[in-house]
Amino acid sequence: MGNLLEVRDLTTHFFTQDGVVKAVNGISYTVDEGETVALVGESGCGKTVGALSILRLIPEPPGKILSGEILFQGKDLLKLSRQEIQQVRGAQISMIFQEPLTSLNPVLTIGRQLSEALQAHKKIDSQTARDEAIKLLQMVGIPQAERRVKDYPHHFSGGMRQRVMIAMAISCRPKLIIADEPTTAVDVTVQAQLLEMIRGFTQELNTSLILITHNLGVVARYAQRIYVMYAGRIVEYGPTAEVFHQPYHPYTVGLLKSVPRLDQPKRERLQSIAGQPPDLIYAPEGCAFQPRCVYCDGGQCSIQEEKLIEISPGHFSSCVLAKGGVLIWQKR
Amino acid sequence: MAQVASPIEIAERPHHTLWGDAFIRLRRNRLAMVGAVIIILFAIGAIIIPYVSPYAYDKQNLANNLLGPSWQHLLGTDILGRDIFTRLIYGARTSLSVGVFTQLIILAIGIPIGSLAGSLGGRTDNLLMRFVDVMYAFPDILLIILLRSILGGSIYMMFLAIGLVAWVNVARLIRGQILSLKERDFITAARAMGGSTAYRIIRHLIPNSLGPIIVLVTFSVPRAIFMEAALSYIGIGVDPSIPSWGTMIRDGYDMIFAGAPYIIIFPAIAIAILMLSFTFLGDGLRDALDPRLRK
Repeated sequence: MGNLLEVRDLTTHFFTQDGVVKAVNGISYTVDEGETVALVGESGCGKTVGALSILRLIPEPPGKILSGEILFQGKDLLKLSRQEIQQVRGAQISMIFQEPLTSLNPVLTIGRQLSEALQAHKKIDSQTARDEAIKLLQMVGIPQAERRVKDYPHHFSGGMRQRVMIAMAISCRPKLIIADEPTTAVDVTVQAQLLEMIRGFTQELNTSLILITHNLGVVARYAQRIYVMYAGRIVEYGPTAEVFHQPYHPYTVGLLKSVPRLDQPKRERLQSIAGQPPDLIYAPEGCAFQPRCVYCDGGQCSIQEEKLIEISPGHFSSCVLAKGGVLIWQKR
Repeated sequence: MAQVASPIEIAERPHHTLWGDAFIRLRRNRLAMVGAVIIILFAIGAIIIPYVSPYAYDKQNLANNLLGPSWQHLLGTDILGRDIFTRLIYGARTSLSVGVFTQLIILAIGIPIGSLAGSLGGRTDNLLMRFVDVMYAFPDILLIILLRSILGGSIYMMFLAIGLVAWVNVARLIRGQILSLKERDFITAARAMGGSTAYRIIRHLIPNSLGPIIVLVTFSVPRAIFMEAALSYIGIGVDPSIPSWGTMIRDGYDMIFAGAPYIIIFPAIAIAILMLSFTFLGDGLRDALDPRLRK
């Protein structure tokens, strides 16, 4: 399996009145063909901006992709012309957004939006596109699809709208789907259905998936590899099972401890990570997590630039404390 | 796969399109409907008047001048013996066509400029909007006098003259609409689907800003009508041979204290009624198209 997508040293900043918001600072990651990769982190850690940067959907100005390479099937997406990137969007890389309620145009019918998405990339007449739209709606489990294509988004519930968004995302059989917190806005009963459906499609079409989420439960079930982001950087990555089993970064430890688990002792309290994520305008020197880190001893943490170090094969961490492989947080 | 709702439930629920919804709300607004009916009556009158009126609008009959209202001449005759009722309804032709066709010109200029400025942004936006500012700051009357001296006094010139001074409002409105719509998720979604800039403007941005534009247009119809009347009144509107309420009021002005006040009263009432009707309709449309007022 080769790399389908390779993001190298991507840096995206926003130039606002208050200063430069360093949303993404030199992140690198890879996605293999057919693989599901998760980007995890708190709100405001740069997950979404990192993903939007792939398709160059960052609003410019104020945003700007300052440096980096985004190699998709060997081609640098950042070097494509406007027309070329338009051909990639939707056709080869598609997105599922967080807010199904606002991601559909309120004045166009569902069928129209689906068939126009198809017609943007395939040379088909509107009748064929319409039939295809009905077929897609059936695939994502919308009952009475023939009737429902004539409906407007406000006739659909949030979960159904997200199904439509998924239908739109798979409509052109893309190589890569970026799902930006696809289930955050729908209720729990629908979340599982939607995720199972997305997984079904990615397996069927051999599509890769970048799953952006803050829900670690989702990650454990669906992603093969996990990238943990903090303050616009990747602080730890590796195979999901390994990262869950033996996290090498105190932030990951904190995240894992703040999720309720079935196998934890009943009496044990859930822990939260104290403090707030740092202001991305005034990023601290050294380790960005240091002010909130309970294991930090003040030594190297504030001096040393964060750098990802391979601690065990395929498993990287930027924490200097984990360097030697001696993990303080495992001592009880 | 889970059923989201039972099929029966879906079939029973009445479905309306967005515009259908707005129309139902408009229908419930009595004042707006009265306005709409009056406008339609004026329009029908303006269309059929040549076939039903025994008098031609320009037929002078000096023997019968300055007659008061009677069954022969419903609203009397003017100083040249022309039937005022006939001229009044012909005047509705002028007023309504100025009202409507001016809007077409306003939209034809305002929508492209406003939507280009709003959606492209940056230097294009700056350039276009500074041009709009210049047009806005330029005195309307001066521009109209200028255009009139170039284009002459035909009714088409009125469309153009009023249209060329009034499009700036539409351009500003649609730019503002698009600037706020641009940040909406479905526009990002459309970009993510590979929609081109032109596609996004025509298919997503403009249709979503139509509501406020329709309202603005309905309010700018009476403004155009009044402007035409005012210009005709001061003698720089349509040619005096074409019946216009403004011209009629000017003709009647001399006769107010000469025993024939009805010459000025009827066209004045007509202007007031038509303008009020459009204003009521505009109010109704604004309420109908504002989803926040949805019950």
